[in-house]
Amino acid sequence: MTDSPPDGDAVDDAADAVEAELEESGFAAELAALVAAPLWVDEFDTIRLYVARENWVDALRLARDEAGLTFFAWLSAVDWSTEVAVGEEVAEPDELIDRYEVVCRLSSVTSPRGAHFFTEVPKDDPVIDSVVSLFGGAEWHEREAAEMFGITFVGHPYPLKLYLPDSFQGFPLRKSYPLLSREVKPWPGTVDVESMPEAGGPSTANVEAGDTGGDE
Amino acid sequence: MTDVDARAAMHLSDASVSVELETQGMTLNIGPQHPSTHGVLRLVAKVEGERVTSVQPVIGYMHRGYEKLSEVRTYAQITALVNRIDWVSGFANEIPWIRAVEKLMEIEVPERAQWIRLILSEMTRISSHLLFMSSYPLELGAATPLMYALREREYVMDLIESVTGGRFHPNFNRVGGVKPVAGGGSTQKKVSQDLPAGFFQGTREAMDRVDSVMDELDELVTGNEMIRARTIGVGVIPPEKAIEFGLSGPNARASGVDFDLRRDGEPYLPYDQVDFDVITEQTGDSFARYLVRKEEIRQAVRIVRQAIDTIKPGPLQAKVPRVLKVPKGQAYVRTENPKGEMGFYLISEGGRIPYRVKIRSASFCNLSILPWVLEGALVPDLVAIMGSLDFVLGDVDR
Amino acid sequence: MGVIDKFGRLKPVSWLLNWSRTYSLWYFQFGLACCAIEVMAAAGPRYDMMRFGIIPLPASPRQSDLMVVAGTVTDKMAPAVRRLYDQMPDPKYVISMGSCANCGGPYWDSYSVTKGVDQIIPVDVYVPGCPPRPEALMEGILLLQQQIRNEDIPDKWSQSDRLPA
Repeated sequence: MTDSPPDGDAVDDAADAVEAELEESGFAAELAALVAAPLWVDEFDTIRLYVARENWVDALRLARDEAGLTFFAWLSAVDWSTEVAVGEEVAEPDELIDRYEVVCRLSSVTSPRGAHFFTEVPKDDPVIDSVVSLFGGAEWHEREAAEMFGITFVGHPYPLKLYLPDSFQGFPLRKSYPLLSREVKPWPGTVDVESMPEAGGPSTANVEAGDTGGDE
Repeated sequence: MTDVDARAAMHLSDASVSVELETQGMTLNIGPQHPSTHGVLRLVAKVEGERVTSVQPVIGYMHRGYEKLSEVRTYAQITALVNRIDWVSGFANEIPWIRAVEKLMEIEVPERAQWIRLILSEMTRISSHLLFMSSYPLELGAATPLMYALREREYVMDLIESVTGGRFHPNFNRVGGVKPVAGGGSTQKKVSQDLPAGFFQGTREAMDRVDSVMDELDELVTGNEMIRARTIGVGVIPPEKAIEFGLSGPNARASGVDFDLRRDGEPYLPYDQVDFDVITEQTGDSFARYLVRKEEIRQAVRIVRQAIDTIKPGPLQAKVPRVLKVPKGQAYVRTENPKGEMGFYLISEGGRIPYRVKIRSASFCNLSILPWVLEGALVPDLVAIMGSLDFVLGDVDR
Repeated sequence: MGVIDKFGRLKPVSWLLNWSRTYSLWYFQFGLACCAIEVMAAAGPRYDMMRFGIIPLPASPRQSDLMVVAGTVTDKMAPAVRRLYDQMPDPKYVISMGSCANCGGPYWDSYSVTKGVDQIIPVDVYVPGCPPRPEALMEGILLLQQQIRNEDIPDKWSQSDRLPA
């Protein structure tokens, strides 16, 4: 790459250069316009595009054919839920989020460009089109997302379980699926490097990620 | 056929030999315990004579639930867990995870820590590829490279152990750098975890040894007629298919895809200050994959030699609060692991525990091409192709 | 039955049988996870397990007497582990290597990991570590060899239906 100041921030300068180059070219904005994404975010060197569920396959096809993002990196899902574990209280009852988001990353093999495509899938209708027709590699990723979250991929040629034994019940990566070992036997090692905060400290059951406990 | 006994008659009536030999397809279960699968992989192969008509890999025998476990552990605890994903190259798994956390916390890593990470990453690459060099010829029938390569691998692991304390699960990265001190509690005084005395000299000797064993292995293996006959032209993967399935690392470069995250991706370590070549081959068969990995060892040796001449004294870790709270945000960091592109997508909602961690492991995508590439292959070629893809089941199953 | 019952406890007979069994323990290649790499390193040129007679020669459980469970046992793999153990002929020994095989290890709270292989098969020696160094594995094997040297032959003979711990 370019010659950089001798020590200290060589990597960060290079990273800044890459980020500046991408920003100047407006790659994220161009891509969002191409795939008709109503919302896009570009922070921490990560581009996120939110597309509608109906446009899912078309958006990925446009990204592959027109924007040069031919490399299929991965496909998975996120469970956005303020209800953390079975039986636990909802932390902020006035802000109830409850949906899945299917996320797919495509990147390019000729430049360091990549983008994450998000689409919202409601929990009462967890169905989305499969992209196996576009990318052969999506087959295994979709099988994994299906068995971990319970999402149905329409048009998938081989919708069997990938990781879990056939007798497994439940969908493990849902936030409502508890880790039973932690319920039965609380983990004895919650001692962290500083003293435990007083109230609402991190308990040994699934801690909601937004819980900050005490002060730093 | 009057005086044939009852058992022979039973067999004769079963055998149906007509003028054209009719064969029946057979389902061959290459089960989870098998010496040449790299761990617990099960292949359900439908074979017709010597030809495989279709293969369905059954994975999940090593699924430990990393992504769910990451939702109940703090960031430091996940660092200790993450190096067991691709258990052959332990240190390299920690780097994308730690970089993702550092990206969200916007921490600058001091230079010496970056160079130490680079040296250990390249040593891990040497160690992983040497394991490939020892096990791949073994699967093809050659037992000598196993011992030669394992012997040199021990020297490299000695070096990694002298720095980090662990042979291949080092748990040496901390947010903001590498482990600065050990001890410091009430019974032990603090001991700096900087590079130990004699490390540079030991590294130079070990790199010389690796170079010389690569010369030996070149003579033994690369020119060997039987290995060439078994691997040239076998398991060809065209570059478009490689990209479509997400193949990365040496597998993709052997098919002609000239993409290496150390040179072309987002910078995560000071690779722009060292000179190295990115090895590609054009044929895309098993022999090409073997050649790419073999040459990558030499390039990694070159990088390590340059790195130990460039590294300067300095702090080992940036200032971070003792209780790590990562601010809200989402980041993806990918690095060039020995097996390919490994990435961590970290979703944090603030707090001490991540909300969601998605692990993009190289071998999962490398293995997903197996049904496609094994269609129509011969049964003995199955082992040659699988070995050349160099996957690790921990990486596949997470 | 008769011969072992009558002569099994005689010192020369039991010494001979135990001695021959101790120094020809063959294990079948059952590496599951990271600990398998340490088993390979232990069989490699530096730590060289073969000088004790422990040779990783058979790939089949039917011809081996030692099973080193090295690595995490998941619920999907557990029936296979049990079946492989049942396929081994008596007398057979099991070493549980690494903390995943001992008790579930760092994945103790996972939804798919069996918390210790001794829930499925009886274990003779536990080798702790994550992963245990090759020397630790060799110490475990030497302990097992000591155990075998002091075995009571008729007891071992009639124990072929022992239940897991």
